[in-house]
Amino acid sequence: MPKITIHRDGEAHQGDIAADSNLVVLAGIRKFPYPHLSYMCGMGKCGTCKSRIVAGAEQLPEPNWREKKTLGDEALAEGYRLVCQLRIFEDFEIEQEGPVRGPRKRTP
Amino acid sequence: MTELMSREDFRTALETAIKGNTATKSPFSIAWATGRLSRDHLARWAENHYHYVGPFADYLAYIYARTPDHYIDAKDFLLQNMYEEEIGGDRHTDLLIRFAESCGTTRERVENPDNMSPTTRGLQSWCYAVAMRENPIVAVAGLVVGLESQVPSIYRRQTPTLRDKYGFSDEEVEFFDLHIVSDEIHGERGYQIVLEHADTVELQQACLKICGIGAQMRLLYTTALWHDYVKDDLSREDAEAVLAA
Repeated sequence: MPKITIHRDGEAHQGDIAADSNLVVLAGIRKFPYPHLSYMCGMGKCGTCKSRIVAGAEQLPEPNWREKKTLGDEALAEGYRLVCQLRIFEDFEIEQEGPVRGPRKRTP
Repeated sequence: MTELMSREDFRTALETAIKGNTATKSPFSIAWATGRLSRDHLARWAENHYHYVGPFADYLAYIYARTPDHYIDAKDFLLQNMYEEEIGGDRHTDLLIRFAESCGTTRERVENPDNMSPTTRGLQSWCYAVAMRENPIVAVAGLVVGLESQVPSIYRRQTPTLRDKYGFSDEEVEFFDLHIVSDEIHGERGYQIVLEHADTVELQQACLKICGIGAQMRLLYTTALWHDYVKDDLSREDAEAVLAA
């Protein structure tokens, strides 16, 4: 099972996922990487899931048209990707900046 | 006597109920996947599909209003689903209309309910009836598990074909790409709600039945598209190949 690591504000959150998974789909169904992943539209439009790839980039396909449009050449060259557009097969390590953004559970 | 199933067994039973009538078996879907449709056929599909999926947030709103307020997770999921359909990013129906326009039809034609077939009207009416009248958990089973959860597997098969065989651009087929992610989330959350809240034998059996009917309704809808718009346009060899697949 691929091991996922999410770095944010000096902390590392780790969990295992099934191979051939999309991290935003998993977070959307409230499995790890929920609640540690920032995401929103799942369409490659809003850029909320923008992540810098720390390790595991070799398993990824070339950026698709949405990533090129939303992130631009400079961010892509710096190693950023939109995780909503990616399926993960092997260990993968990313860094996201700022507080976690996305759908949250209501506090009872 | 039927007994209460474990969540694992119940999920397997739901999946089996859907599989028996999956829409990927319809001749229209087979003709689509094998590159036998014209852009005119796809335009007719879009003009019909709009009236089935266009009111999806409306269907969910009826279910939302009738779901008890202590089902917090279920209600929040329904609200999130509505938000994503309409204003979370691009409105999903706008992306469908963009695809329709690239097939040669117009926004006005797509939005005009006179351009849907009687069978599509039947599917839309069934969706409204389920949302308004069934137990909310049973309605989620019918509309989200029975219908919406099928979408990723259908579009995963059809989207590459739209690019490779029909020559559409990435932006023209964005409607299909986005549904592979969002409907995977929606379908799976639908399963979670049904597995958690269908906690009596009667509710489980009602969910199973409506799941099967939902899948049957979608199959009926796509099969009607074949009869209404496609079969007379294909060569005899092509039509026979589709029906034999």
